[in-house]
Amino acid sequence: MIRRHGISALPIFFLVTFAFFCAVVPRFATAGNLEALMAGYAFIAIVAMGESFAILLRGVDLSVGAVMALAGMVAFDASLILHLPGYLSVALALVVATFAGVLNGLLIVFLRLQPFIATLATLAAYRGIVFAISGRQLVPGLSTTALDDPWIIGLETYFDVGATLGVESIAVPAIPLSFLLMIVLLVLFEVLLRSTRFGRDFYATGGNPEAARLAGIDLRRTVLIGYALSGFCAGVAALLLVARLTTSTEALGNGMELTAIAAAVIGGVRLNGGMGSMWGPVVGTFLLGVVLMGLTLFGISQFVQQILTGAVLLAAIAHSRWLQSRRLLPSAPEGS
Amino acid sequence: MTLGDRNFPLPTPRRSFFKKAAAISATLGAATSAWVAEPDPQSASVGMPAAHAADGTGPLKMAFIQWQPHTVPAAWSKGIEEVLKDQPQTQYKLLDGQNKVEVQVSLMDALINEGTAVIFLQPIDSVALAPSINKAKRAGISVITLNIDATAQHAAHVEMSHYYGAMEIARVMGEKMGGKGEVAILNAPPGIIIRDQRTNGFVEGLKKHHPNVKVVADQVADWSRKKAQDVLATILNAKPGLTGVYGVNDSMALGAVDVAKEKGLLGKLVIFGNDGEKDALESIENGELTGTQYTDVYQQGRFAASAATVLASGQVPATAFKKQAHLLMPFVIATRENVKQIQPSQRW
Repeated sequence: MIRRHGISALPIFFLVTFAFFCAVVPRFATAGNLEALMAGYAFIAIVAMGESFAILLRGVDLSVGAVMALAGMVAFDASLILHLPGYLSVALALVVATFAGVLNGLLIVFLRLQPFIATLATLAAYRGIVFAISGRQLVPGLSTTALDDPWIIGLETYFDVGATLGVESIAVPAIPLSFLLMIVLLVLFEVLLRSTRFGRDFYATGGNPEAARLAGIDLRRTVLIGYALSGFCAGVAALLLVARLTTSTEALGNGMELTAIAAAVIGGVRLNGGMGSMWGPVVGTFLLGVVLMGLTLFGISQFVQQILTGAVLLAAIAHSRWLQSRRLLPSAPEGS
Repeated sequence: MTLGDRNFPLPTPRRSFFKKAAAISATLGAATSAWVAEPDPQSASVGMPAAHAADGTGPLKMAFIQWQPHTVPAAWSKGIEEVLKDQPQTQYKLLDGQNKVEVQVSLMDALINEGTAVIFLQPIDSVALAPSINKAKRAGISVITLNIDATAQHAAHVEMSHYYGAMEIARVMGEKMGGKGEVAILNAPPGIIIRDQRTNGFVEGLKKHHPNVKVVADQVADWSRKKAQDVLATILNAKPGLTGVYGVNDSMALGAVDVAKEKGLLGKLVIFGNDGEKDALESIENGELTGTQYTDVYQQGRFAASAATVLASGQVPATAFKKQAHLLMPFVIATRENVKQIQPSQRW
């Protein structure tokens, strides 16, 4: 079996970095900080997983940030303007997000637009729709009203694992629901990609579309499902973020696409498609999170932090290239 | 090698690869640790030198989370530092929200975990930061918001007197317009408290002092000079009888000035801004902008820092506050007559 994993040095690097920060930075290895890390980055990891679907197909989804804003605003409007019950607002937001992803897929498959161009266009379009439907602008007073529907707000809960297990001596961080949700999605997606026929078709479509087509794989269906999953993940992440903020803003998710792509690339998802897993983006996201939170607690200026994030990204790409040159990873097949 | 090749052999130097990978990661880690082991406090973080932080009793930590880099928060930070550097055992740092709400929320979490005593905050959104403010309150941390209020009760809110200042602008502007005429408002995007305060204050001020001055247009110009130029040009086409323009911030008012200059309407249009930026004051001196609400932003930072020091050194816990304090900064409506009184060192 061809190894479909990306960089295998990543988990080691993550653990080394984590250990380093625990040792050097005061108050890093505290329950509160680990909770903050999990809660602050779990939803980003979910977006990164969704983005990986698009990248694995040799494309990219630049509209994930705008889709997040769209889903968030739909949930906001449904709850505060239409007064729908919580489960309907959540369902509606997810449906809209998935549909936005399907629309991306349709543009790519039927209009044969380059994914970069198609999602760049939808990025602008969805953001525009967000402003047009924004309840905060349509109804004065809503901009200072917090969401209070238990279905939505309940997404921001923490499970006191320490108390359940009866651990008294050390402070065990409470696990946020968003983190558990991320784990569930991670497992589901990994199983989907590794153990199902669809998963094999997926890698084939991204790795060598021409060969996949000749092998009888329905490229259109695969691409549509891939972008639909990307949209769906953006929707889930949006709901988690909206729960955390108790509101949705028009600028929600601004710049999220770049973070997601960076996390995916650090996680070993190849931009040429066909190589990568769901673990990679998740570890990549938390690596970024550990670095950023560690540096903030250490007092490093945020502008230096951004430089370091860029350096980590470059190091990840260089490492991948190095692995390819040593034939430890297959390079892109010729003639594709 | 193609996808169909299932006999792709594992590379033989696998074990040494893992060793090398581990060695490289460890070296990177060690190298980074050597690099950051002695951070130069002055260059590493914007703020003051870090005293040794011990758990429990240690220096008072304070931090300011800004919206994004801009003259206003930079001036606040300068004012805050001026006051705090004279306080013994106080540590202060400036953090950037990168114009993203979730970044500000994460930074609040980090500061809460760090045991900060006071957090200065310029919330990007008044509702979104409320859960974080409540979390800080539960941890006993006092939060002081600057200019933009939040929907959660906190220790103090120090603002540029948006509402009453806007009322004063309406009064002075009406006088300059001779008590009658048509006014257009170049506004901020809706959804933020400060916009409502500045608009409502203006409208009510006009009603109270100059009922014959009518607001005939209220368009969004996104706080931006360029957008304001486009918006006002459009308004002027629709309402050629316009005699006054109120930009809810100075950038938009200066955009209006640009359009007025272009169309030769400088003498006829009465243009007012709000904030008191250096550029606006200069424009007033040149006879272009008619006036603005000037607040000494450095002083605002100093007031906030003074309030923070009183709270922190008096060991007043955040939970002791029954109601939130509002500190409205003194302001002056700067016009040609009095703009010279504003000293260069006060301009920002």
